[in-house]
Amino acid sequence: MAEIKRDMPREYHEAVVHWQKHNFPDYPKLVQLWDRYFPRDEPFCLCAKLADDVDPEIQLGDRKGQPKALSPKELPQDAAHLLLGQIRAQASTEFGSIQQHEGTLARAADPQDQAWVLRVMAEELRHGYQMVHLLTSQDWSSVTEQKPADMVEEILNMNTGSHVLAAFNLEFDSFTDNVVFAALIDRVGKYQLSMQKVSAYEPYAASMPPMLKEEAFHLAAGVVPLRRWVERAAKGDALVTMEVIQKSVVKWFVRGLEMFGDDRPGGHGGDDAVRMGLKDMNNRQAQDSYIAEVQKVLDDLNERYVRAKRPDLSRDEADALYAKLKREKGSADGIAYEDLLRLPDRRFFRRRGEGAFQMYGFDGQTFDDPEKCIADVAAHLPEAYRASVDVRHWSNMLRKVHAGEVSLKDAIKSMPRLARVGGSCPCARSVRWVMDVDGGGASGEGARLHP
Amino acid sequence: MVRTARAAGGGVMAEIRIHPLTELDIDGITRIDERITGRYRPEVWEERVTYYIRRDAEASQVAEADGAVVGFMLGEVRGGEFGLEEATGWLDFMGVDPGTRGKGVGARLAEALLAHFRSCGAHVARTMVRNEDEQILGFVRSIGFAPAPISSLEKRL
Repeated sequence: MAEIKRDMPREYHEAVVHWQKHNFPDYPKLVQLWDRYFPRDEPFCLCAKLADDVDPEIQLGDRKGQPKALSPKELPQDAAHLLLGQIRAQASTEFGSIQQHEGTLARAADPQDQAWVLRVMAEELRHGYQMVHLLTSQDWSSVTEQKPADMVEEILNMNTGSHVLAAFNLEFDSFTDNVVFAALIDRVGKYQLSMQKVSAYEPYAASMPPMLKEEAFHLAAGVVPLRRWVERAAKGDALVTMEVIQKSVVKWFVRGLEMFGDDRPGGHGGDDAVRMGLKDMNNRQAQDSYIAEVQKVLDDLNERYVRAKRPDLSRDEADALYAKLKREKGSADGIAYEDLLRLPDRRFFRRRGEGAFQMYGFDGQTFDDPEKCIADVAAHLPEAYRASVDVRHWSNMLRKVHAGEVSLKDAIKSMPRLARVGGSCPCARSVRWVMDVDGGGASGEGARLHP
Repeated sequence: MVRTARAAGGGVMAEIRIHPLTELDIDGITRIDERITGRYRPEVWEERVTYYIRRDAEASQVAEADGAVVGFMLGEVRGGEFGLEEATGWLDFMGVDPGTRGKGVGARLAEALLAHFRSCGAHVARTMVRNEDEQILGFVRSIGFAPAPISSLEKRL
């Protein structure tokens, strides 16, 4: 696969660079660490990358076989509108994850883990750049009255708490979150990118392969440290415990499920996007595959844990022990099922979709009393997160829904919503992220964005 | 150098699926290495797998049957090494589960890897095999590799 690299016009390029200075101040360290941790790798490039070998024809849906659209106006109105929402949401996730990672990046105990996450953040910045490129390199006036500069302003003004998807509105509590997030939430990202590889909009389809290549490393940057941590936990390292990892897994897995959109069984979430040729799986299908894959991640980690806990066992004996623990959910050979990493029921602690504000417990059991359900949820969440506004909001809504004080629909709507106002760069209240730059055109050094 | 060999074995095999290497293949690869060498080295394979994913996530290939990794082939396109300026597809590591020997797993992995090398603009693939690894030498020759006009030299330190 060959890649074509593109820069944005200078005002947009500089807006992203300026956003980085405020939101990703550790970025310059990556240059210092690059040769040590990523020797021989091509230097990082803040640019848009496009695959040059995407299928020119629409691969599925009502318009299968027709040429892919090269501009939004070549798409049916409803498809262009849905696509614009996809790009905005994708952009929000890319910039949002950097804001989350930055908060706890410095707390990494292992320099390699930190360098890997730093690279992940830089590549998320590139992915955000890619989305801004999509928004600014074509005319979207057929589906929105918002000007490209205003769309970019809106995205760059989002903060943890005002992003489109709930998973990007949660603070990281420790470096455990950086790693578990990479293993679980970036995995949802992989699914979204994979599904969108077929997009009927050619520039979007062409954006996916380079992003997917980078995303593959992000998943490793999550799973590999976790593999080492579970081994340390098995060997009795007091600083790394399975309980801490387990609770972080629960925190992110639940919000990850909601990133797929409406997942109600028998529902039609995502069907329109498939019919329009914008992705190749509906929400439920993709989520089912995701759950199976995350279970595979946990099996991998648990097997590593069992092997480290019982080094006297052969590979086959360790496999048999893990299979027994999983099957019987009891204790054997000094290991309890509760010591292992487990996924909650897909309806547990949900805000949207299947199970939203319903009283399902970790194992799918039901409760009659909201307080018992809240206690079960709280028992499975990290302590710092349990004390957050986010969990309190969910608990209050659950109580109100079941007391008949708030409708389910209103409870779901009560999520933090995006503040859709043009904003300003935090270093000068009157200055926007996107500034007109003399000479426009190519990006580069020398643009004076701020007085 | 191809450093992990196929080993003897046999048995009936399910349908094989070839796919690019992912982080979830680490344990399967470690398992094959353990079966062949008798050593359990998860850290080694974590580093190697992460390296190849990072370098080019679509290059290295894994063979899977019934959800289990039964073979792997790790490599990448590099240029400029040893004065060889042309883009070269390097086959660095491979392993096939002992139980799947003789079922064409290695050939299918090589087919996928070499196809990717070609798509990256490489017109030549290279590897190194120790002379005593006759099985690997035989396999590598069977998929079209021939002695190269390059000498491999070493000095003990």
